[in-house]
Amino acid sequence: MNHGQQSGEAKHEDDAALTEFLASLMDYTPTIPDDLVEHYLAKSGFQCPDVRLIRLVAVATQKFVADVASDALQHCKARPAPVVKDKKQQKDKRLVLTMEDLSKALREYGVNVKHPEYFADSPSTGMDPATREE
Amino acid sequence: MSLERRTHDGERKDPSSSSSSSYEFTHAAAKAAVAQICESVGYNHFKDPPLESLTGFAIQYILQLGKSAASFANLNGRSQCNVFDIVLALEDLSSGEEEERVSLESCSALRSVKLREVIDFVKISDGEEESPFLQTLPRFPVSYDERRKRMMMVPSFVEVGETPPGKHIPLWLPAFPDPHTYKETPMWIERGLDPRGDKIEQARQRRKAERALLSLQRKLVCRISSGGGGDRVWGDMDGGTVKEEIREEAESEEEKVDGVSVVEAFAPALEAARDEDQMAWKQQKKKKKPVGLSKLRGEKKFLGEPLDLTLQMKGEDRPLSLREEDRDDKRRRAEFILRQCMENPADLNQL
Repeated sequence: MNHGQQSGEAKHEDDAALTEFLASLMDYTPTIPDDLVEHYLAKSGFQCPDVRLIRLVAVATQKFVADVASDALQHCKARPAPVVKDKKQQKDKRLVLTMEDLSKALREYGVNVKHPEYFADSPSTGMDPATREE
Repeated sequence: MSLERRTHDGERKDPSSSSSSSYEFTHAAAKAAVAQICESVGYNHFKDPPLESLTGFAIQYILQLGKSAASFANLNGRSQCNVFDIVLALEDLSSGEEEERVSLESCSALRSVKLREVIDFVKISDGEEESPFLQTLPRFPVSYDERRKRMMMVPSFVEVGETPPGKHIPLWLPAFPDPHTYKETPMWIERGLDPRGDKIEQARQRRKAERALLSLQRKLVCRISSGGGGDRVWGDMDGGTVKEEIREEAESEEEKVDGVSVVEAFAPALEAARDEDQMAWKQQKKKKKPVGLSKLRGEKKFLGEPLDLTLQMKGEDRPLSLREEDRDDKRRRAEFILRQCMENPADLNQL
């Protein structure tokens, strides 16, 4: 009984927090526009007239993309800086989203992405078994 | 934000998409949104292939979320999803470790780790400057859907107000197209009797023209027969004014029969005096020649001549001397003819 009451109270709190969160979602405009998210959700069979839920999905996606991008950014920064030929050029290198960083970041999410660096005539062209195997 | 594009062959086309145009548009919009997110993370340059890949992943993420949420809702016997479905879908997609799984004791959604992460993310992002989608997207699902909807959403029977043919067709179904769209329906023939009426009208107008011509000729003849101001009569025979005068006179002297016979008598005289310019006009007059009169008069073509005479007597084409000679000649001839006509009163009664 007690446990039930407590859980009931907790549930109420959780519900309140949830509603509060959903209300706060309306203030925050996700980067991905609502129309786009709604389109893709409709494509997959998700049906809901509530805008807050669509914003929730948009925010979740934004979080996902941001996580992946930040991981890739860390990989990019962790790479040693290129050799400075010009004395004016400082250590701040251009932060470019490259396929290498992305593939490394996505590895942790269980996605195997490999971008072919060149188009080869045969599968074994340019294959260096020691370095290319990752 | 600058996009460094490597050379690659065109855009990837999703073969499973229903319409490539919508796919391209949404893909481009998603790409812009993802690039914006990356920019907020810290990137300021992108290569195109990783950006494309990341966009594809984001789209797949949304699709998977929607799919899982929909299936969770269906499992619970609902067609519309709610927040718990989304939370469950979030949990489903994440590859969380065992300890972080949602506790089964309370079914509150906030127990979900993923949701908490999302909440934290929102709080953090709210703290930073909000970066909404920079470009204003048109209501694209509405526009192309609306076009399709407009094409496909025929108003139902209820909306149109028709009763469906057959009891087996419910009222909420789209209405049938109008019969004129698929079969040839008879067109209304509005002018059924008009050809006949037109002919009657035409004959009436012709008769009117005949009468007018006749009266004009009578006037002319009267003028000639009056004789006194011969020169003046001839000289004044202008096209318009003379006709009007003569019409007025002829109306009062309609009974004067002499004029008509004179007209007839004038035929040979006027034929001789015909000019080239009057040929065309004469032919025009001949066309208007009333049928009845020609029948009455037989072979003699006299209709156009007195009018030709008026034109002639304008004096535009001939020198003065010639004109005077002609006038004298004609006057003599006219008098002679008049005398002749006086002797034949029979013909006059026919008109």
